Amino acid sequence: MILQINHLQKSPAADTAHDVIDALLTLLESGQLEAGQLARFRVQLDWIQYRSNFREAVIAVPFGKCGGEPSAPLDLHINTRQMSRESLATEIVKAISGCRGNRPEGVDRIPLEDFCSFRSSIAWEFNRLYWHRLADWEHATGRGYEQALPGGKSDAHHPEAIADGVADFWTLLQDMEKRGQLPGEIFVMEIGVGLGKRAALWLDRFQALDQQRNTNYYSRLKFLLGDYSLATLERSRPALANHLDLCSFVVLDALNPIRSLSFLRHKLLHIHLTNVYDNLPDEELARRDGKLYLVQVRAYLPNAEAEQICRGAQISLGDLSRSVNRLLEIGPDFFASREQGITFWQEVWKALRLEERLVSVEELPAETLPEGLGLTRLDEILRDAPSDVRFHLSTGAIESLRNTLPLLRPRGYLQVQDIFVTDLNDYRTGFYGPGKVDGSIVNWVNGALLREAAERAGYDLHFAPFRYRPGSHTSVLYTTQRE
Amino acid sequence: MTLPILPTSVVGSYSMPGWLERLKTEYHARRISKQDLDEIHDTAVKAAIKDQEVAGIDIITDGELRRDNMIDYFVERLPGVQFDRSSKKFYYDFYDSEVLKKLPSGPLGLTEDFRFLHSNTQCETKICITGPHSLSKRIRNKHYPSEEAFAMDLARVMNTELKELVKAGARRIQIDEPCFSGFPEDLGWGIAALNELVAGVEASIGVHICYGNRYGKPSWEGSYRYLFPKILEAKVQQVTLEFARRGGEDLDLFHEFSAPFEVGVGVIDVKTQAVETPEMVAERIRKALEFIPKERVVVLPDCGCLHLPRNVAFAKLCAMVEGTRLVRKELGN
Repeated sequence: MILQINHLQKSPAADTAHDVIDALLTLLESGQLEAGQLARFRVQLDWIQYRSNFREAVIAVPFGKCGGEPSAPLDLHINTRQMSRESLATEIVKAISGCRGNRPEGVDRIPLEDFCSFRSSIAWEFNRLYWHRLADWEHATGRGYEQALPGGKSDAHHPEAIADGVADFWTLLQDMEKRGQLPGEIFVMEIGVGLGKRAALWLDRFQALDQQRNTNYYSRLKFLLGDYSLATLERSRPALANHLDLCSFVVLDALNPIRSLSFLRHKLLHIHLTNVYDNLPDEELARRDGKLYLVQVRAYLPNAEAEQICRGAQISLGDLSRSVNRLLEIGPDFFASREQGITFWQEVWKALRLEERLVSVEELPAETLPEGLGLTRLDEILRDAPSDVRFHLSTGAIESLRNTLPLLRPRGYLQVQDIFVTDLNDYRTGFYGPGKVDGSIVNWVNGALLREAAERAGYDLHFAPFRYRPGSHTSVLYTTQRE
Repeated sequence: MTLPILPTSVVGSYSMPGWLERLKTEYHARRISKQDLDEIHDTAVKAAIKDQEVAGIDIITDGELRRDNMIDYFVERLPGVQFDRSSKKFYYDFYDSEVLKKLPSGPLGLTEDFRFLHSNTQCETKICITGPHSLSKRIRNKHYPSEEAFAMDLARVMNTELKELVKAGARRIQIDEPCFSGFPEDLGWGIAALNELVAGVEASIGVHICYGNRYGKPSWEGSYRYLFPKILEAKVQQVTLEFARRGGEDLDLFHEFSAPFEVGVGVIDVKTQAVETPEMVAERIRKALEFIPKERVVVLPDCGCLHLPRNVAFAKLCAMVEGTRLVRKELGN
């Protein structure tokens, strides 16, 4: 058996490891585990960044599509944050027996889909629904989405950070002007605008600086606010009341901004995103004994919660999966009353879990990996990475990056404020998600892979810690043109 | 060989296949031999020649598939230029290179590339050379008193090679000077170096000036107005510029300044994978003909097709040829 401790958090790792080994050896001695089985376990002690997430305290992750053969290796993930010493042995037995095919379908869970990559999971449909029906969700919970963030507010609006960002941009404009490179129209864009607070603060500050230095850049500014939700764009409009003359509100998909904005190719001087990448569809890879596996997931509801939800919604257990699909297609109005629909939505989301299996990447279509990150390239990138590691592929973030960079004008730059893992080796000591934040998904972003994708597109990526709030996990990514 | 009116050509590079990229990187990591790489290059160049012939291009190149990029191919060959082989991560990155003493004269080996191209096609051919101004912007000068002096000496050394190319049968040579657009303040000495480079070279000389195509994106933006009137002093027969991506606004400069050159008109945007229709190409040519006499128009892509997938590059060249045929027909040819 291999025991891998993937975190060095405050919780005493020695005690936790001891509890886990104790539970496993107890099961062995009591005959509930065979020695051969135990020898093939890879026990992973994880620390999930978000208390609200998609995991049971113990999950068993088999290798291959056919479920685990008793003789096959098995990843046993234990979330040390959720783990209870008292129930640990029971949880382990439950996880292993389910995974080994001893659990008939439907006995302890209601699957909501077939196994698929995380990116294709209906978990992301819930995420989409949340952003499209944000007002309904907020109305039901009585709090805005920013209040639901860890810490209760977004780092996006930090005045000092915005002032520094504006100053940097102004310096660029001045240098371009000196060199005769400044275009007549200065295009700037923010993607993922929230309530428009950051954009408004940025424009206020830019206008003030421009007046103070008498440079007349503000009047040449064309500020685009992009979001995939028209409702969100509408909600942001009042915050921009003082700058509406130079603002354009654009519905676009953060995964592919250039599709909507091809007429602005090579025109934008600055593009900013805050906490967008961490909310883009993602998937994970695991390397075991030098071989790469895609982590496939299947969304399910635990039986106890499912029964409770059905009682509340007055539907049968057999109708549950269909009702969830209708909710995701139509929204909470699918139910007799919107309130009932929102309650159903919130309860399903709260109970939603993901089971996992590892499927060799070689068995999957080539399109599984993001463009420019084929197996050969990944092998090169992973040459110096740990031999047993699980990491985010960040396909959504990479796709977004690749489809945003062509909008940049020479000397223009992209700035992304988000939660990044900037070195693959960091996955040795931390496993970062995904988590649930209110009705949406939050996931750390693999900055190391983003860096590779950007280099291929002609940009170097740099990551700076967000120094404006002590203890913040946020980093600031910015690009420079690669020579 | 007689060329048709509105002859079609390419700027230089053809699509770099993914497998060739990987093999070049393997070579740099010393996992395959130079001999193997040379054979691979020969095969790739033959395929690029065939694609251009099938697309119907009138004046073809070897696709520059032997080159890591437009700088390093010359860095590796210029006697006296020092470079660190371990300084690049991917084959297409630039070497860290410098010149520490006066450049000695010596062959660059480009005649071999030309002979290979010439012996594998019946088409008219062109060979492309990175110009002294652009080279002087990438190779760190630690010897000459100025970049200008360095560029002039580069021109002296490379002039010999150009004359060797002519002896080997080259009739068309294109000098690539994209860095003119990034450093317009250098234009005066840049053109002086260009003239030094081509002095006494008895071939049809063109100069290609774009706004950069590194990683398939522009390095600079602006207007070609900066070229005028200085460019009129260049001792070249053809000036090749990008007009597809940037639009044809600067075409009137050739009319305004009565520029005597043939103009290589970029009608294919190489920075997008969207394939132009023949009608779109024809429209761009018609626009150019409003300002430039038809006898002096050559039809090309904006720049090299290096960063385009092969199927896209091929489709774009086919569209370019078809669009040109539409206009030739309108002109009665």
